[in-house]
Amino acid sequence: MPVSHDIGAPDGIFAVITLLLVAGCLAVAWPRIGSPATAKGQRGRLREFGSCVALVLVAAMLADSVGAGQWAVGVAGAGLVLLLRPRAAALITSALLLILGLIGIGLAREIAWGVARPGWYGLAHSWNSPMWFVLVQAYAFLALGAWLGWRELRARPAVARLVLGRTAGLEPADQLWSLLLLAVVVIGSAIISSSAWLVVTILGSVAAAAIIRRAPGFAAKLTAVGLIGLGLTGLLLVKSSTVTSWTLSDPGNAGPPLSASPRPSSATARPSARTTTPAESALIKPAAPKPPSLAAAGVSPSPEPRYGLVGLQSGGTVDVALAEAFVFLGLGCWLVPRSFPAVRKIIGLVPQAQLTSQVQHLARSRAVAVDTAAADLRRLERDLHDGAQARLVALGMNLRAAERLMHVNPEAAAALVAEAREASARALTELRELVRGVHPPVLADRGLADAVRALALDSPLNVETEIDLPGRLPAPVETACYFSIAELLTNAAKHSGARDARVAIRHSGVMLRVEVTDFGLGGADPARGSGLAGIEKRLASFDGILAVSSPPGGPTMAVMEVPCASSLPRISSS
Amino acid sequence: MRVVVAEDLFLLRDGLVRLLGAHGFEIAAAVDDAPGLVAALIGERPDVAIVDVRLPPTFTDDGLRAALRARHEVPGLPVLVLSQYVEQLYARELLADDAGGVGYLLKDRVFNDDQFVDAVRTVAGGGTVMDPEVVTKLLGRRARREPLARLSAREREVLELMAQGRSNSAIAQRLFVTEKAVSKHSTSIFSKLDLAPSDDDNRRVLAVLAYLNG
Repeated sequence: MPVSHDIGAPDGIFAVITLLLVAGCLAVAWPRIGSPATAKGQRGRLREFGSCVALVLVAAMLADSVGAGQWAVGVAGAGLVLLLRPRAAALITSALLLILGLIGIGLAREIAWGVARPGWYGLAHSWNSPMWFVLVQAYAFLALGAWLGWRELRARPAVARLVLGRTAGLEPADQLWSLLLLAVVVIGSAIISSSAWLVVTILGSVAAAAIIRRAPGFAAKLTAVGLIGLGLTGLLLVKSSTVTSWTLSDPGNAGPPLSASPRPSSATARPSARTTTPAESALIKPAAPKPPSLAAAGVSPSPEPRYGLVGLQSGGTVDVALAEAFVFLGLGCWLVPRSFPAVRKIIGLVPQAQLTSQVQHLARSRAVAVDTAAADLRRLERDLHDGAQARLVALGMNLRAAERLMHVNPEAAAALVAEAREASARALTELRELVRGVHPPVLADRGLADAVRALALDSPLNVETEIDLPGRLPAPVETACYFSIAELLTNAAKHSGARDARVAIRHSGVMLRVEVTDFGLGGADPARGSGLAGIEKRLASFDGILAVSSPPGGPTMAVMEVPCASSLPRISSS
Repeated sequence: MRVVVAEDLFLLRDGLVRLLGAHGFEIAAAVDDAPGLVAALIGERPDVAIVDVRLPPTFTDDGLRAALRARHEVPGLPVLVLSQYVEQLYARELLADDAGGVGYLLKDRVFNDDQFVDAVRTVAGGGTVMDPEVVTKLLGRRARREPLARLSAREREVLELMAQGRSNSAIAQRLFVTEKAVSKHSTSIFSKLDLAPSDDDNRRVLAVLAYLNG
């Protein structure tokens, strides 16, 4: 926790009061975040509470580095947020961290130039801390802010959409990377133009924002390429700059390295002979004991080549620029497979969002499959209970009555026995129908091809079959396809008014394709009627799909595609 | 008359053997799987075989395929196929060689032993017997078609019974009419369906089934 560098007694009391207030705010926020019901909810709640605490700390640090000693203002602001919107704490913290990081970068530049105002930045003091200490903290804050923001935006698609615009076909998580385009534009424009960089930056940022919102996929590609370009440029600049600084540190040359830096637009560094003003010679010593005047700060930064966040100059920042160049390069390379689907295909990387949607699809179709199986079992039980089972009970009763009547009234007994025989025949018929509904005999015996041929024979329509299957398919796929085709043929017979229909089945090695066409009136609506929806559900368990084309006037064509491999070699159907 | 029985369930096999024995058939062999059936059919050359469609080793349609194979080697070998289900597809395969001497019945038909024994005798004599359920399906499929739609209700009844493989006298008995009336109906049916008339029961059945199957 940053503390004001000279805490007096009244300040101490003020601090205690502020801390008490913050504690109060946290206590108020606590019951309003997360749901304590489950263990997972409890963990989320603790995480959100952690964000609240982090918000207080970060706000204090930020306020303290903006205006020395003003940390209490930040704490008060954080308290206000905690009171009003405790759930937004993490998102605000991430934004504050990013700002804090940028301030740190600025401070590091000021330290490098020796124009830093006295004040605290995180754990560093601008006067007696080395520049790298400030810089490391600034990078850490930036990284932390980016990570936190990414996590928060991913968890809140609504907010992400607000920031990023439409996300058609893209998960917000995939699109967040394109936000880096803004950073690329800002850093890149600083390298390209030295004089009007502010204008270029603003214009470039507006253009980048438009691209991000309108064409997120393109923005992501641009980001990847831009980052790699930045990294390579950085390496080139650093190389030429080290050569220069090495030359400059030659004892024979009295010129200060700062003034010797080349114009940013040229990749080669040319030391320019220039006389050093007294103000500039004061700036060479970074650890100057007394703060330089602000007027001097305006003079100094212009001749140095800007690169990356800190700027490239001889001495310490060359290492920083090198590190930044590598970070840009690495980030760009990491983004390439994420932004270019072609590259992704080559290296076989599946993006997170695709896996997520696949898992969701699997969970959904599994739930449907389980439900369907349960419903089928219930129906089976009911059919058996009301049908065959009941008939067998009646049969037993009839036979018992016949047994009793046998000697008393043989004719009545004979009638009862005949009735019993008929009842058993009916029970058998029912069981047969039941089994046919569960697993059709020809399907069990011969597989899909002959089962569909049998189906075609049984259909009241004149069904032509055109079947080319390499062998038996996985049994569940066969069953699903069989019942789907049966449903489609039944629909055609009932509603289409067709006399002729055609079933074509082909297998391409990995995909089973079934076409059911009836030459009827057409106009079938997939949205209406549960039959087609049932088929879709049935096929979804195998990642299969159904497409129906039914223009008014016909013909109606239903195409089903199910990915599957055939398992057994062809069984001869003698 | 010598019979081979192929049925994997002991109770049913035993029941069939007893029933046939009671009606004076001689049981040449009673087997419980498809390889045994083929061996018995080729080795014993029975007058008729009664075969369950579903047999070991794969418990699919081994019985049917064994019967078809045996008929391929011994053309016209009379086979009566029994099944828990009747399928038009299997009926077509049995009828495909046009050699006669085939039957295809639901297992339940065994309940009525007189009719069942009649069917066995018909098949053994080179006749054709189709389960009423098969015939109903065949007719159902063509019911809406010309010229079947032109048949009168009574003519359809006669056609159905003809397709099941019944003789004129059996049809007359069943419909409580004279044989002459049946003969008149059958002539009318054949002319309406444009089939060559035939007095031979067996050829008549095949013609009707071929028409319905076509």
